[in-house]
Amino acid sequence: MNIPRILFLAIAVVIFAVLPVQAKDMVVKEPPKSLNKYYPPESDQPKWIQQMHKMSTHFGGVFVNLKEKDFANVDMHADKLVEEYKKTSEMVPEWEEYFDIPAAEAFAAAAKTHDIAKAGKASGGLGKTCGKCHAEQEVSVWAKYHWPRFNKIKVTDPISEKEVEFDDYMGSISSSFKGVTVNFGEGQYDRAAKALKTFKSRYMELKSTCSKCHATQDVKRFYVGSDADTAFAGLAKELNADKPNPGKFWKNIGLLGKTGCKHCHLVHRTNSFIQEMWEKKEE
Amino acid sequence: MKWSSRIIDLIVGAGLIGISALALLYFVINERFEWIPEQALELVRDPEILKRPKAKKCSECHKNIYEAWKESRHSISWTSETFIEASENRTKEKCLPCHVPQSVQGEKPSPRLDLRDEGIYCVSCHFIDNKMQGPYDLLAPPHPTFRNPDYVRSSFCGSCHQKTFKEWQGTKVEDTCQDCHMPRKKGRLTQKAGLNLLHKKRWVGDHRFLHGKITEMDVVMETGWEEKFFNISLQNQTIPHSVPTADNGDPRLYLYIKFFNEAGEQVDSAKEIIAPQQETALPYNKKVNYRYRLFDPVAMAEVDLKYQPAWSKEKTRVFAKTVPR
Repeated sequence: MNIPRILFLAIAVVIFAVLPVQAKDMVVKEPPKSLNKYYPPESDQPKWIQQMHKMSTHFGGVFVNLKEKDFANVDMHADKLVEEYKKTSEMVPEWEEYFDIPAAEAFAAAAKTHDIAKAGKASGGLGKTCGKCHAEQEVSVWAKYHWPRFNKIKVTDPISEKEVEFDDYMGSISSSFKGVTVNFGEGQYDRAAKALKTFKSRYMELKSTCSKCHATQDVKRFYVGSDADTAFAGLAKELNADKPNPGKFWKNIGLLGKTGCKHCHLVHRTNSFIQEMWEKKEE
Repeated sequence: MKWSSRIIDLIVGAGLIGISALALLYFVINERFEWIPEQALELVRDPEILKRPKAKKCSECHKNIYEAWKESRHSISWTSETFIEASENRTKEKCLPCHVPQSVQGEKPSPRLDLRDEGIYCVSCHFIDNKMQGPYDLLAPPHPTFRNPDYVRSSFCGSCHQKTFKEWQGTKVEDTCQDCHMPRKKGRLTQKAGLNLLHKKRWVGDHRFLHGKITEMDVVMETGWEEKFFNISLQNQTIPHSVPTADNGDPRLYLYIKFFNEAGEQVDSAKEIIAPQQETALPYNKKVNYRYRLFDPVAMAEVDLKYQPAWSKEKTRVFAKTVPR
């Protein structure tokens, strides 16, 4: 059997070891509190994910070096993998069951034979333990520790100039949006024009809100960018015209909805729902 | 010759030689740093300084600079309430490189893990590549200091203030960040007795990193009426970057407009938020126009421009004007 084929098989074993678990329905359960100490603010670094990277690097290091016939480094990575695996197994007591130390040791022993086929075969047992934990816990960990929490975001309402909760602010935007569309639908164009000022002001404030997490302008512009500018300019033009054109008005409303609201909701809402559930549970 | 006059001659001679030696030493230290052998520099070095000390340690000699820095926003970059709140209890990764920089060197720094309460402190900016650096070559016991021309260049501040630096670059104005925010005065770099006399007086930058006050000389307003519209333009005439400016903070100018009828009753109002995060800040030397539709008969407008820095909820007035129709 040639080396690329063996490598392929080794990777496939790891991947397929994960799949049967992922094929089940997933329960997104809040991670145990003992994990808090491996993430900010309790820790100054995200130590849990760093630990995952360490294990992953040593696991990969075994195969990279087997392929390169650098056997001293194969042995080093095999030993380090077992060391880090043991260390990880002690970090979160509630997750101790996910770890199979003999499987890690068996993999290291197989790797040290410097026979890539044996290492590939032994990696399956170890890979299963990683896969099971990832399938059951990875989404939760990312939702809790890697995604910023929307409920922590405060927004300064540009109309009242008061700081409000993010959810309340979304409610305000929605109300002012309806002020525009409802009045327009009723043919009350002056009222719609006044409501547009409020809605635009609140909508544009989202650029500041996005910047609370996003550091680059391009990301902000993905949500509130040139499409929003075009849409608002088009809406103002129609509402200030003697005879507004409903077709153009609704087209611009659609543009705002599709490029701003929908983009943001598609990316952020699922995670925010998960976090919200956990917040409610704590209350 | 009497023996007493010989002794006097000897003393005078020795004195002259001593003074000449001191003068030569002073000359070499202050004017010919390159003549000083590296071994001599190592002799005056205290290895403790290489262990990235706290700012308080630096204050033992650099009292004036330390006290100025203590007044600066840099000194509270990690401890300010505004920062703690905005960074969700300091968990936002994007904030860390510039609020606790390991080493500032012209590109975005890495965040450090130790002494975070010190914020952006002496070591962050002056301890680079394992040696003390600054705008001058100095024998400077206990840490020889090496001149790095970047200390008087805007690019140095641009390590963190990247957006502001780019805005400044676009203006083509020669005055650097340091010219306005670290104005220099001639003085001693150290206040420690003895050491303070070792070097001549130098131009020392103000380490409070001054934040300028915006006035109506800086932001100039023009207004105009049309039948159904009121127009305002604002122009940042003097500040060679956008106003306000920030990479991640959220400073704002609030432009309030109130409209009154003939009877003096308010009939409408409008507001603009002029803020870097909303990409509405006033660029240098370029008019920004605002246009307001008048829904009711209007006889007068009141315009009020206020500034709110990133670190405060308080607003201060830049100007207020009444504009009759």
